[in-house]
Amino acid sequence: MRATNLLDIRAVSKTYIVDDEPVEVLRNIHFTVAEEEFVTVIGESGCGKSTLLRLIVGLDIGYCGDILLDGTRIAAPGRDRGIVFQDHRLLPWLSVEQNVALGLDASDESPAAVKQAVAANLDLVKLADFGRAYPHQLSGGMAQRAAIARALVAKPRILLLDEPLGALDSQTRAYLQDELLRIHQRGKVTMVMVTHDIEEAVYLSDKIVVMEPRPGRVRGIVPVELPHPRNRAAADFIAVKERVLASLVNGPPLCFDAAPKSRPIVPDGRARRFG
Amino acid sequence: MTDRSLIARPVAHRVRWRTPSFDRISFYGLPLVLPLAVLTIWQVATVRGWLAPQILPSPSDVAVTFIDLFVSGDIVTGLAISLRRILVGFALGATGGLVLGVALGRSIRVEQYVGPSLRAIAQVPSLGWLPFLMLIFGLGETLNYVVIAKACFVPIALSTAAGIRNIPVRYIEVARVLRLRRRTMVLRVVLPGALPTIFSGVRIALGHAWIAMVVVEMLADTAGVGYMMTWGRTLFQIDIVIVGMVVIGIVGFAMDAGLRATERRLRQWTPDHV
Repeated sequence: MRATNLLDIRAVSKTYIVDDEPVEVLRNIHFTVAEEEFVTVIGESGCGKSTLLRLIVGLDIGYCGDILLDGTRIAAPGRDRGIVFQDHRLLPWLSVEQNVALGLDASDESPAAVKQAVAANLDLVKLADFGRAYPHQLSGGMAQRAAIARALVAKPRILLLDEPLGALDSQTRAYLQDELLRIHQRGKVTMVMVTHDIEEAVYLSDKIVVMEPRPGRVRGIVPVELPHPRNRAAADFIAVKERVLASLVNGPPLCFDAAPKSRPIVPDGRARRFG
Repeated sequence: MTDRSLIARPVAHRVRWRTPSFDRISFYGLPLVLPLAVLTIWQVATVRGWLAPQILPSPSDVAVTFIDLFVSGDIVTGLAISLRRILVGFALGATGGLVLGVALGRSIRVEQYVGPSLRAIAQVPSLGWLPFLMLIFGLGETLNYVVIAKACFVPIALSTAAGIRNIPVRYIEVARVLRLRRRTMVLRVVLPGALPTIFSGVRIALGHAWIAMVVVEMLADTAGVGYMMTWGRTLFQIDIVIVGMVVIGIVGFAMDAGLRATERRLRQWTPDHV
């Protein structure tokens, strides 16, 4: 049903130079994100998943391969992409309203239109009454919702989420997961989220990209074909979770999606997981 | 039998002094201890005749002179002239320093061209420039403004540049992702982010400017508080000199306190502990 790929990541590799030594962070990453799809990228820390988001958002454009958004190679940040970081990164000296309005600074909208868009998006994240508040007056979850509003206010084609719930307590986390789903469904936003929480990934996404570290590679892609709302205790939910876990830990590479033609040879003798 | 001394005893008897009223007294009272002590020693020194009254007039003499100078309007006129100079010089120097500081902090190229020279110039005290500037501008109001402006310019430019360069990368990244316009970037991200550092530069600048102004007035002018002190010294009226010192100290302190209050107001967005 999802014929059009909004985001197409093709053979993307990234190497940093640290102390004159090349450090390979991403190797030959392949996957696609369809319009209105919710994709999570999961993997232990150091697998380059945050780096991948930085490449997609355009903060770092020195990479090999192609990241295509609607067929165009990404070469800079743009209005078509929004990002929410793990720390909310609201500017502490601006009110919530002013922070959200920054999302439309680069646009030619009239002040009235900006005001209306800000109000609509604060409403979407249920912060309508907190427009005048300053970030330090918000709880962690509220600040993260404000950051989501700021990322959405310019109506991006795709919303990138870099462990946005990672620093929150479990109750707020569960609440915000539902909020993300609601925003995803209501706003028809394509979302790519990085997380290290398997349950969160299964609960939220249509597709899970499982990555392995050093260098970051795609180990497998697990589709999640469960209807919403999902029950974390249901047998099929747990089955998907187990599959993700298995591919994360030591299972064989899973490839259900446009798979790379050849997987590069692993140099450090970790071929055991193929066995 | 238990040794009672080993059981933790309540420490209330130590804490009892820490009542709110005690804190208030210590907040307002303790800063006054040192000046009062100096005043007392000064009084004793003059009564005992440790120094000749021509060299160290008594506090009461100084107070009388202060009232005389105040009533005659000498202090008020002098101070008005001095404050006007500070105001103009500071406005010129601070504006220039802010603009250059933003350029230095935002552009690596500007930093490479101008930064090292500016830091070298900063090593030369403003007053080291005085003989040279006197030859260029002659004696007069322009010279005062230039010296005061120069004293403000350098610390504000350097602190603004440092403050901008120390803005957390995460905010700069947000600005890049949102593709903020240059104007928004400067007014909403760069300047507020650098504000605390800029303000410490402004306070240093005002201190330097105040000093520079007094010295210029003492050396190269015929009006203002600094001139009043030179005049007192020439007449061997040390009481006038001391009145000048006290006025300069108090006004300088008041300006610094005003700046700190302004900074607190500008930084209302932070909780107190940040």
